[in-house]
Amino acid sequence: MRRTLRFALAMALAFGGSLVARADETCQSPYLPKIVGQEDFIYVWTLGIEGLGDGQDKLVTVGANPARSDYGQVVNSLSVGGRNEAHHAGFTDDRRYLWAGGLDTSIIFVFDVGSDPATPKLVRTITDFPEKTGWVGPHTFYPIPGRMLITGLSNANDKSGHTGYAEYNNDGTLVRTVPMPAGAEYGYDLRINANLNRMLSSSFTGHRNYMRKLSELLGDAEAMKNFGHTMVVWDFHARRALQTLEVPGAPLEVRWALAPDAEYAFTSTALTSKLWGVFRKSDGSFEAAEIGTIGDPAKVPLPVDISLSRDDKTLFVDTFMDGSVRVFDVSNPREAKQIYEQTIGSQVNMVSQSWDGKRLYFTSSLLGSWDGTGHPDEEFLKAYTWDGAKLTPTFAIDFIAEKLGRPHHMHFGQLGFWGLPESAGDAAAK
Amino acid sequence: MRVGMALEPVARVSVALAAVALVASSSASAGDHDAHRLPDAPRARFEAPVPGSYELPTIDRVSQHYLLGTRGVPEPLLGLKDGELALISFVYLQCGEACPLATAMLHRLDGELAKDTALAKRVELVTVSFDPKRDTPVQMRALRKQLAPRGRWRFLTAANEAALRPVLADFGQDSVWIPGAANAPDSLRHVLKVFVVDANGAVRQIYSTGFLDVRLVLADLRTLLPSAP
Repeated sequence: MRRTLRFALAMALAFGGSLVARADETCQSPYLPKIVGQEDFIYVWTLGIEGLGDGQDKLVTVGANPARSDYGQVVNSLSVGGRNEAHHAGFTDDRRYLWAGGLDTSIIFVFDVGSDPATPKLVRTITDFPEKTGWVGPHTFYPIPGRMLITGLSNANDKSGHTGYAEYNNDGTLVRTVPMPAGAEYGYDLRINANLNRMLSSSFTGHRNYMRKLSELLGDAEAMKNFGHTMVVWDFHARRALQTLEVPGAPLEVRWALAPDAEYAFTSTALTSKLWGVFRKSDGSFEAAEIGTIGDPAKVPLPVDISLSRDDKTLFVDTFMDGSVRVFDVSNPREAKQIYEQTIGSQVNMVSQSWDGKRLYFTSSLLGSWDGTGHPDEEFLKAYTWDGAKLTPTFAIDFIAEKLGRPHHMHFGQLGFWGLPESAGDAAAK
Repeated sequence: MRVGMALEPVARVSVALAAVALVASSSASAGDHDAHRLPDAPRARFEAPVPGSYELPTIDRVSQHYLLGTRGVPEPLLGLKDGELALISFVYLQCGEACPLATAMLHRLDGELAKDTALAKRVELVTVSFDPKRDTPVQMRALRKQLAPRGRWRFLTAANEAALRPVLADFGQDSVWIPGAANAPDSLRHVLKVFVVDANGAVRQIYSTGFLDVRLVLADLRTLLPSAP
């Protein structure tokens, strides 16, 4: 039986190879199938602005394939019926559904992006996240097999930064909750290194702080004490906290290096403007070390999103207050060297790159009450190409002129992923 | 322009190596390949947690379904008594990517369970085909013969796609047929999942490529079946 022979041979070879999956478009869960070619769409989870358009949060679909006539255009806009402080989103492990959260209302919206990738549908709304979990402010949506891990930024009791994370199955049923450990109660992001069975979480601040106007918050010395300064190393399989690392200044996004033998991760600290590395030591425990400075910390550039290239050599770092991206060479992960800097636009926040690292997308907007603090309240998605030395703009969408709102988290969609031709639904495709 | 597809690097390497191996073994027969002498899987860089030191809450619930066994006769997918567990893996024989990983893990687990008869009596492995059109009961029987299970390991397929669809939906197992380029056959894109299910249909664990580690599976089985006599 040739077919069964081939299967058995492939199985035999599977024994000799690594059994560990690698990450998605450079910064996604290792359990998520990735898009390695040209993305056709960018799904942008967007916060509504009162008085602008319908004023509602919405999932905006933007054409991203130069071979299609909708390149650089808004393809679809799906409003969800109110404002929730739209923030982050994440695919289920099969990439069919995109879960998106509101940091204020704690409502979670589940969009079907697989049935018709150009026209997502809202198929489920989870409204009892605080009641079921005890947490509020669902932030990171991180798929694992058959389930979704969701970090809370805060809790339903006192709205402080003490929180935890929740585990839902893909049907939206709560499986369990896990509180952050004593001494490291704040939460923000979490990411898994499957090679090491380790999960790393970071920390920010609670609802009482992130829903305040930034100018007020910065002037409230007492409130400014209530930010996270820790990262936690977990045994992922057992969901057990193993170690707390001191990382002052609100460590935000976590990015594990992608090489199968790599044993480190990066983060940036919002308040102290530093890059940190978290390194596995020879005894299996971890240490955190400062590896670089982002701009002039005295000017509080407020680093927000970071994006690591798939070869683990290049780290893009957005800074909210000066609207810039700084690119660091992190080929020596213990010493980040800035190699490029470019102004993207006022209050740039999120950055997403294609798997090949040739295309980067930036959005503005951090939080509704923080946008427009000390700089113009611009709202945009801007696309660039990266040639290894410089960024070149390709298209931009003004989310104010389009009456859409404040664009935040971006995720990629591809027709070919679903077995569809890239010209699907595009009669005018080149 | 043909867009890039979702292939896991490990799987792509496996496919490429498999192609090389097919050429190299062109004179080999199926009998030359003794699965029991396969090399060990590489050790991941962590220790499995101690059985019973952690919890595995119910993730989901699945219903009973009936599929075709290797003799073409309908069998229950969950053929368990109380206090038993099944590891259920969906594969298809044309798959050169993730499916062999899952089957390799189950084969190694089958060998490990043979060393723990008390546990082995309470664990059943079930391989289910995604591809009822091509993976007939005869094909599944041939696969079983090649793998030569030591313990409880059943191989199932469906009468047709319509019969399989509700099973996949119930398990939340995605699958999308991707048209093959030129003369290449269609391929099935799916996330590799191996489910641990009890006799009542409670899903207690789901593995994917990141955690197809026999040590973890054994730890989970011993956590869920702490009093295996």
